Amino acid sequence: MGMVTCLGSGVKSNWEAVTSGYSGIAKISLFDASGFATQIAGEVSDGFDPKGYIPLKELRRLDRCQQFALVAAGECIEHAGLECPPANPYRHGIIVGSGIGGLATIERGVEVLQQKGPRRAPPLMITMAVINLCPGLIAIRYGFKGHNTGVVNACASGTSAIGEAFRLVSEGRLDVVLAGGTEAVVTPLSVAGFGAVRALSTRNDDPSKASRPFDAERDGFVLAEGAGMLLLESFDHARSRGARIHAEIVGYGATDDAFHMVMPDSTGDGAYWAIRLAMEEAAIDPSVIGYINAHGTSTDLNDKIETLAIKRLLGKDAYRVPISSTKSMTGHLIGAAGAVEAIYSVMTIKEGIIPPTINLENHDPECDLDYTPNKAVQKKVEVAISNSFAFGGQNACLVFKGVS
Amino acid sequence: MDELEKRVVDLIAEVLVDVNKENIQLDSKIVEDLGAESLDIYDMIALLEDEFGMEITDEEVEKIQTVQDVADFIRAHQQAS
Repeated sequence: MGMVTCLGSGVKSNWEAVTSGYSGIAKISLFDASGFATQIAGEVSDGFDPKGYIPLKELRRLDRCQQFALVAAGECIEHAGLECPPANPYRHGIIVGSGIGGLATIERGVEVLQQKGPRRAPPLMITMAVINLCPGLIAIRYGFKGHNTGVVNACASGTSAIGEAFRLVSEGRLDVVLAGGTEAVVTPLSVAGFGAVRALSTRNDDPSKASRPFDAERDGFVLAEGAGMLLLESFDHARSRGARIHAEIVGYGATDDAFHMVMPDSTGDGAYWAIRLAMEEAAIDPSVIGYINAHGTSTDLNDKIETLAIKRLLGKDAYRVPISSTKSMTGHLIGAAGAVEAIYSVMTIKEGIIPPTINLENHDPECDLDYTPNKAVQKKVEVAISNSFAFGGQNACLVFKGVS
Repeated sequence: MDELEKRVVDLIAEVLVDVNKENIQLDSKIVEDLGAESLDIYDMIALLEDEFGMEITDEEVEKIQTVQDVADFIRAHQQAS
């Protein structure tokens, strides 16, 4: 596993931050946001040093989202101890999700086009902008020659990528798939665009309190950036090379609301079915779920409807299961959200600590489950699920299980 | 090397960061000696055009082989305009 978020670079520093209840949200520094309704975000800054993973020459030819992807992939492969290039490259694949890809590159490209004309369009703009170069670049670096694709599912991209990778491995099509998500859209156009549909928090005067999932005073999500990558491997392959196995993926559910461009289905039916299908595939009774890493964006609708879906799945049991939204600390990494949250879910199983939902201070009667408010809780977890729901109605859920 | 030639070398070094700047000589062939590949060339053209405020057509690019050729091309362009 490997990751980069506003909480830090690397799984270790992320886990320390997320179990200590730190917020990574601050004033936007990547551009002058003074004229914007939203002026806060979860930017990657401290400790992000791509030079260890990316040669200098390539650095300036890579969009920020590609840099995040390569650094997270680098950590992931290093920690997995996988020999690269692999001896059997066509049995090794890569699936990386992203919501928007190299948006900052596109924005700069448009500026140059308007100021200097078409002759001066940056020559590397296309390779920096397209999403499939994220898995493509990782393939070049590590010599994975099997199935390689970019998944585009807005806020569910990361979870979808891991789910699709899980399918490829569980069906025996590939031995190893590196899967995850990356996003770097703290840009003027994106902050303005998400702001235009009133999706973002405007709590500019108190950034660390702005992402407050399930709290009555929540006022929208906080945009964030980063990447998360996981190495999925068939059990036989992992065992034969003596790999450290962190957890097992046992189920994946994917549905669509077929309802509205940005609003979730008000009944939560699509979300419910995604979770239920994942549980059915895992052949695990929902009563065994020990932790739910919620999508929990801190928007009015998502948190209400996700709560509804969980209640429908678990009935009275819903009040027993610890839930948390790590977005309260990381902000919303859009296409990378599901990937970093998958890592937090695996870590919860490995370490027996449930990260909190911070800033949960005011009770919302429609969000009345146990969201692990404000402080991490020690608890042995054998099965964890992670939810992601997207603009576009895409719902995705992964089920993780501990290995003994 | 004169001022212009030094600027050209700096610019090429900026693109080809793997190449040690001392190894970029006026008679170095950009592709054969310095190992530039197609993306490097496009990158260089864009930087040169920006730096020297001119246009280099694809036909002209094909005639350029060495660092000296680049400098000569720019000088000719500057004298013409």
